[in-house]
Amino acid sequence: MFLQLFRYRLKCLLRDRLLIFWTLVFPILLGTFFNMAFMNLNNDEKFEPISAALVTGGGANDAIFEQTVHQMSLGKDRLFNLKTTASKHQADQWLKKGKIKGYFTDGPLIRLYVQETGISQSIMKTFADHYRQNSSAFADIAKANPEAIQKGLLDDLSQQRNSVKEVNTGGAKPNNVLNYFYTLIAMACLYGSFWGNKEVCDTQADLSSRAARLNLAPVHKLKLFLAGCCADLLIIYGEILILLAFLHFILGIDFGTRTGLVLLTAWIGSMLGLTFGTFVSAITRKGENLKFAVLTAVTMAGCFLAGMMIGDMKYLVAEYVPALAWLNPANLLTDAFYSLYYYDSLNRYLINLAMIAVFTIVFGFGTYLMIRRRKYANL
Amino acid sequence: MTIVETQNLVKRYGDLVALDHLSLEVKEGEIFGLLGPNGSGKSTSLNCILSLLSFDKGEVKIFGKTMKPDAYSIKRNIGIVMQNVAVFDELTVYENIDYFCSLYVPDKKQRKQLVDEAIDFVELGEFRKFYPKKLSGGLLRRLNIACGIAHQPKLIILDEPTVAVDPQSRNKILEGIKQLHKQGATIIYTSHYMEEVEQICTQIVIIDKGRVIASGTKEELKAMISMGEKITVETFSISSDQMTALRRLPGVITAEYADERLVIKSEKETNNLAAVLDFFKNESITFGRIYSELPTLNDVFLEITGKQLRD
Repeated sequence: MFLQLFRYRLKCLLRDRLLIFWTLVFPILLGTFFNMAFMNLNNDEKFEPISAALVTGGGANDAIFEQTVHQMSLGKDRLFNLKTTASKHQADQWLKKGKIKGYFTDGPLIRLYVQETGISQSIMKTFADHYRQNSSAFADIAKANPEAIQKGLLDDLSQQRNSVKEVNTGGAKPNNVLNYFYTLIAMACLYGSFWGNKEVCDTQADLSSRAARLNLAPVHKLKLFLAGCCADLLIIYGEILILLAFLHFILGIDFGTRTGLVLLTAWIGSMLGLTFGTFVSAITRKGENLKFAVLTAVTMAGCFLAGMMIGDMKYLVAEYVPALAWLNPANLLTDAFYSLYYYDSLNRYLINLAMIAVFTIVFGFGTYLMIRRRKYANL
Repeated sequence: MTIVETQNLVKRYGDLVALDHLSLEVKEGEIFGLLGPNGSGKSTSLNCILSLLSFDKGEVKIFGKTMKPDAYSIKRNIGIVMQNVAVFDELTVYENIDYFCSLYVPDKKQRKQLVDEAIDFVELGEFRKFYPKKLSGGLLRRLNIACGIAHQPKLIILDEPTVAVDPQSRNKILEGIKQLHKQGATIIYTSHYMEEVEQICTQIVIIDKGRVIASGTKEELKAMISMGEKITVETFSISSDQMTALRRLPGVITAEYADERLVIKSEKETNNLAAVLDFFKNESITFGRIYSELPTLNDVFLEITGKQLRD
């Protein structure tokens, strides 16, 4: 009997094109748009060497400066893509044509020529200032204390040392774009609530005549409901797996190396979505369309606070209203996926997962309390 | 044997009393008609009988046992045809009937036979792979009926199954109900169409404001009222003096003239038609059609409550 109920329910649900669109096609389309919008976001933040020129042979050459500029133009992490010329006129032509951002002339007074202001020009100015400060300091010390040169002053000044060490907290690189896609998965999980809504509407006799007919059949209401929920869960999880596969294999979204835990999170997220839908549907005493609207609004508000539309929102909420971050299922799901991707430790992930499980249990139990009655005051 | 029995059923919605000490008794083999205007409490009483709706007072017994939401042995023998079409849009005609039947009959082989019989019964054979959205209103109603009766229950409850149905489909539905009755089912049929109830029901209860106002066979109900005959005469004009004289004729209860139509209600067992014809001849009143009708259930309702069934 249970299998028969499950089979027919599955058939019914799979043929609901509207819900399939909102719960499967729409997240895939949104993911595609996200990819188109954000694909260059990380690339934009990478530092590109500055096209610069050095005019040499201006009389009193500063060999050290020339050497320094050349050194800064070597290697993978170079500061400049350097052109050298002996003609200032040539450098001006490059600058006018936009081939370089600026050029240095050496001599007793280092000069920087630029056509406009910007980050590249600021970096060039900072570099020149830095060089001048160091060389000036070196000259002053050498004048006051010549022995210092023999004691390795020159080596000390020429070496760059970092006072702050970067420590990577996980095995992955920080990636601002991933959060958008993780909120998208959270949204898809919570859109599973639409199936839960449909389930309650087809179970509560005061919500549809179909449900009234089912309530009059010699079958326990809970058995009917559970058979339907199993079919719902299978569909939601199937949809999330398709979405994950699309994001990973087609769009190249990285989920880290813990595939098993990613799948587990998707499963728990599916259960959260389903119970969220059944709960909201059970407590809202209005028509199916209004319930649908409530679920959509709550899900989208949750995704907004989790950073779906504005990336920094997630951090603002965590900083100023931390309780809201913990009470937002969309944020918990997003954070669970990000924790799996970014952190070596599972602590943060497990806390998120535990909170999601608590929400699922609360929503599930609340649904049971609301729909367990077998007689209705109104139909 | 009593199939359904309700005693002093009371259902209130706040200050509104939907069922006011309603007592009904449906015997085995009857087509039991529950007749009343919209909002009289027909559907409410059925929902209370079926334990779908809670009630404030009273008792319901079906097949001699108290009806409860978990009385599955009772529910197994009941078929319900809801007032609203209650089928799944995502399932075909065959799948819908099979699904609802599977709630009562787990055995697949037995069920297949029952579903085929139900499809033949409602004549939806050529539509078995159609989805409900592709069916006309009448065909949809027939599908609704098939879903309710496929498991061949002993008691079938039909709640206004012909609402918004074309005359051809309505006749088919009524013929089907008669056939189910012939096959041995006890039927409870609610309607506000008195013609339907008159046509098929063996026992009729008229309710209004949640109370039984009359019950019996259609003949017994008609015998309860003083009117025995209704004579209608199509005539272009009749004076007020002539109307006064007409009302004084022996056996005439009321005489009303409107829209070139004179309606005379007369007592039983009087030679009313001959007297009216004599009056028209003596008064030299020209007239077109003249015809006589026996009282309808609407007349019964009108005389008892002072209002029309379809008010």
